This record gives sequence, structure tokens and C-alpha cells, in this order.
Amino acid sequence: MAIRDWPIKRKLTAILLLISGLVLVLTSAAFVTYEVVTFRQTMRNNLATRAQILAANSTAALAFANEADAREILAALKADPHMVAAALYGRDGRVLAAYPAAAAAGLIPAAPEPDGYRFEGGRLVGFTPVAQGANQRLGTLYIASDTKAVSDALRLSGIIAIVVLAIAMLAAYAMAAALQGPISAPILALAETATAASTRQDYSLRAPKFGEDELGTLTDAFNQMLGRIEEQKTELQQHAMKLEQRVAERTKELERRAVELQAANSELDAFAYSVSHDLRAPLRSIDGFSQVLLEDYGAQLDEGGRDSLQRVRAASQRMATLIDDLLKLARVTRAEMRTERVDLSGMARDIVADIERTTPDHQVEFAIAPGLEAEGDVRLLRVVLDNLLRNSWKYTGKQPQPRVEFTAVDENGDRVFVIKDNGAGFDMKYADKLFGVFQRLHSTAEFEGTGVGLATVRRIINRHGGRIWAEGVVDQGATFYFTL
Amino acid sequence: MAFLTLVTVLTSALLLVQSPRASEYQVKAVFLFNFAQFVDWRSPPAQDPRAPLLIGILGDDPFGAILDETVRGERLGERPFEIRRLRQLRDIEACNILFISRSENERVEQILAAVQNRPILTVSDGDDFAKRGGMIQFVNDKNRIRLRINVEAAQAANVTISSKLLRVAEIVRTPPR
Repeated sequence: MAIRDWPIKRKLTAILLLISGLVLVLTSAAFVTYEVVTFRQTMRNNLATRAQILAANSTAALAFANEADAREILAALKADPHMVAAALYGRDGRVLAAYPAAAAAGLIPAAPEPDGYRFEGGRLVGFTPVAQGANQRLGTLYIASDTKAVSDALRLSGIIAIVVLAIAMLAAYAMAAALQGPISAPILALAETATAASTRQDYSLRAPKFGEDELGTLTDAFNQMLGRIEEQKTELQQHAMKLEQRVAERTKELERRAVELQAANSELDAFAYSVSHDLRAPLRSIDGFSQVLLEDYGAQLDEGGRDSLQRVRAASQRMATLIDDLLKLARVTRAEMRTERVDLSGMARDIVADIERTTPDHQVEFAIAPGLEAEGDVRLLRVVLDNLLRNSWKYTGKQPQPRVEFTAVDENGDRVFVIKDNGAGFDMKYADKLFGVFQRLHSTAEFEGTGVGLATVRRIINRHGGRIWAEGVVDQGATFYFTL
Repeated sequence: MAFLTLVTVLTSALLLVQSPRASEYQVKAVFLFNFAQFVDWRSPPAQDPRAPLLIGILGDDPFGAILDETVRGERLGERPFEIRRLRQLRDIEACNILFISRSENERVEQILAAVQNRPILTVSDGDDFAKRGGMIQFVNDKNRIRLRINVEAAQAANVTISSKLLRVAEIVRTPPR
């Protein structure tokens, strides 16, 4: 695992250990160096002292060339196993006595060397003058000691340093493990809280705070952030709930209104139906008796009387047509719907044939696109096409070259049927009145009609779940669009 | 070749004969000089600290120039050394060290009596010198020169001999008469 991926606890411990380890190693190195240096110094001083004592004792032996005495003096070195060799040189530089008595060759220099002490070849060697009195040099003392004591001291201080190092590192590790808590604990708590908050999406969690340091500030900021998120979440939820509630209320109200409307509509329809139905009987009497009057008593009346009767008849007949249309309209709303596939092109051709047969005096060019089909009630759709096509036929009556088209276009995935003529057209500002009951844009004298047809058409289209609308320009024709 | 060898051998033999004698008194000269460093004269014979330290030779001088060469330029503290050949007994009083030659062997007692109670270190290589009341006697021992010291004689004359010197010497006493 890369160091940067280490847990923060381990990082802190490692840093503390590294620092204390470095400090300890440097300190130990200084300690060992100091030990060795001072030990060498001490050793040199000790050897010098010993040499001085020996030299002081051996003055007479040298002065009077007493070998036995010199040997005896040097033999005292036996007590110290580190003393490797010693020798006394006379004034003439010749060896008077040596230690050990049978010294190996090379152990004792043949002639004295300059005074002083030095480490050479794993030994500490020294030459010191032997003198009696201030200025009377009698000879030279040579002394050599091995440096095992130095290496022993080095080894001992090394062992001490290593032991101290080990104990100190252990202690440092324990301390580091114990003391990194105040730093790592808040960070770990933060990380834990953050993870829990993001995985469980529980923003009511709060990270525990340990102190007023930077980590404490961080914890506070983090907790504040969580708090704000929580508030916003609650607010959002409340909004959503309110919205849902409002939608539900509206829906309920709409449903209630729909029911009311439906009830009112059906009442109205029933009323219209019964009124229309009940109006027919007296109307038939008026028309019938007017006819009887004309046929039986026409001769007794003058021209004015006959004309009046004719007018009564025409008016009552128009009224009958009106009532029939109203009944049709009412029936359209009340009739049951049977949905099936309907061939609109074929239906349109039938209607056109019927129109041409009954009114041969006004010929119109009908262009019907083939293969137009729709889902719907065949009888009701026939009413729709009949109304629209007859309308077009009717309003092209004053055109020298009347023409009506029945096609379909696809718009936004919806099939839109189009019936277009080049007749009288209409002013677009009355477009919304086109489909109202008894709403007429032209006088009866101009074009015959009851003002019920387009209202009926709209009802049927609406019952099919479709839409109907129209575009027109005065004297340039009208175009009706509907979907199913 | 043989001649050359013969010459070499003869030369070496001559040197061997010559050398012990010469080296014996060379050594004795050095010893005499060295005594000055191991001996303390309790009452200073001269007020002047730079007064020469006198070594007197009584009787026939066996050293020749050796002793003079040995002490030339040497000093004890600030005192230079001076060698005096003495003919008469009364000249000995100024000496610090008195070497009595073998030639005076017969009258050693007389000489010692003359220096009695004076701080003069008496040295000789005469027979039984130490036992006869002298302070330091040179003794030849297997080509080596040993010292024999009569400490009582030295003490009597207020001459202190360093224990170091005593260490390397044989201590003797004057046998009771």
C-alpha cells in the first residue's frame, strides 16, 4: 500500500516514530562518539600517568645501568593484561630492559622515537623521557597498550545505545499510539459521519466535536452543512407534499364539477329532447291544417290569403327541420358508441354520390384521398362527414369553379383530417363561434341552415376524444381540421 | 683474503682488549656524575646557587679526560660541574663528591677521618671501601659495575642518598670494631 493511502492513524504514528527514531539515533551516535573519544583520552592520560610513574621509578636503574632493577620495575606491568610491551632505553638509545622479558621481535622498537603518545596498529604507544631533576635526561621509557579496552568500551556503549534505542522506540511507539488520538479521532469521526451521511442519506447525523482547534472548526462547518442539507430536504419534502395535496384537491374539485356538468348536460339534453319531441305534434297540426286550408278553401281566399298560408307552411316546415336537427344533436350525445375501424374515404364517396344524385343542379368537384381510415363509431362519423361535406358543398354555391378536398396529414404523431373548400369562407375573428349551437355567420337568405350542424359535429368529435378547428378567409374558402 | 681476515680478527681483538678498560671508567665517570642527582647535601656548602659542584679526585686519576668530557656543559639546577685533581688532604674540604683513587687504598681510613662529619659524598673503587667507612663503592661484577653503599656513613656525614639510588645498590655496614 502506498504511503499516501495509509490510514491517518498509521501516518501519525509513523511520523512520530520517524522523528523520535532520528533524534534517538543521532543522540546515540553522539553518545557513543563521546564515549569513545573520552575513553581514548582517558586511556591516553592513564597510560601517560602510568608511564610517568614508571619513569620516575626507573631513574636510578637507568642512571646506574641496573638491568635487573629495570626489569623488575617494568615487570610490575604484569598486573594489567592490556599492557603489551614496555622498554627502557639508556641515554645512548640502547635497550636496557624490556617487558615482557622475552619480548617478541618487533614488539619493541630498536631505538627510542620522539616523545609522545599515539594510537598505531591497534595499540596505544608512548615514549616518555626518564629524567632525574629538572634537566637531566637519563633515558626513555617506551610503553604500549592494546586498545581492547577502547573496543570493549565501544561495544558496551554500543550495546547500551541499542538497548536504550529499542526501549525508547517502544516507548515512542506506545506514546505515539496513545497521543495521535486527539488528532486522528476527530478526523476519523468526521470521515465516518460523512460516509454514513452519504451512503444512508441520513442528514440528521452529526460528527462529534473533540475540541476548539482547526479540527473542531472543521467539524462545526461540516455539521452546519449537514444541518442545512437536512433543512432543505425537509423543505423540499414539505413542498412536494403540499403540491400533491393541492393536486389531489384540484382533481377532486374537477371530478365534482365534471359530475355536475354531466348531470346538467344530460338534464339539458333530456329537456331539449322532450321539448323538441313535444314541439313536433303542434307543429304538424299547424302545417297539416294550413295544407287543408289551402287545398279545401284555397279558392275562397284571395291571392294575399293564399300567400300567407304558404308562408305559414314554409315557416312551420323550417321549424320542423330545426327540431329534427336539435333531436339529432341530442341523440348524438345520448347514443351509445361502438368503436370499430372505419373507411372514411369510402364513406365520403358514398356521401358525395348521394349529394350529386339529390342536387344535380349544383355540381362541385370533390377530390377524396384514398385509404383514409379511423377508429370510431360508424354512424356518428358518418354524421360528421355528411355535415362537413354538405357544408362545403353549400358554401361553394356561389363559386364558378367549386372544389372540395378531403385529405389527411400527420402532425406531431397525430393524424389530422382536412376538408378544404374554395367557398365563401369566414372571418377568422368569428372562428370561435363557428361550432356553437344556432351560431350562424351567414343569413338564411344567403345560405340555408339551422346552425346546429357544426355543433353536432363538434360533439361527436369530442366524444371520440378528438379536436376540431377551422381556418378561413372571406370569399376564399374554409378549411376544417379534425382528429379522432 | 686470508690476510684480510687475519687483519680483521686482530683489529677486533685489539679493540676488545682496549675497550673494557676504557668503558669501565667511562661508566664510572657517568655514575659519578649521576650521583649528584640522587644525593642531597643537607647543609649547602656554598651560599651561591650558581656555585660549581665540585668533584674531587684524590690520588692517581684513572679517568683521564673522560670525566671532564662527561660533565662538560652539564648542570645540576644552575650549578655547573667542576673537576679537581687533589694532591693534599686539606684540599678536599671544598668538594661535594670525592673520588678516592685505588692508589690511596692504603690511607683510606686516614682520608675518611679527614672528611668525617663533612657533607662530602665519598666514592671509590678500592677494595672494601664501603665496609671501611666510605659511602659508595664501585664493585666490578661480571663486566658490570655494581654499587655498594654504606648508608650509616652517609647519614653520619649528613649526606642523604635517594632511596632510588639505594634501590639499585647493595647496602653494607661498617662492621663493629
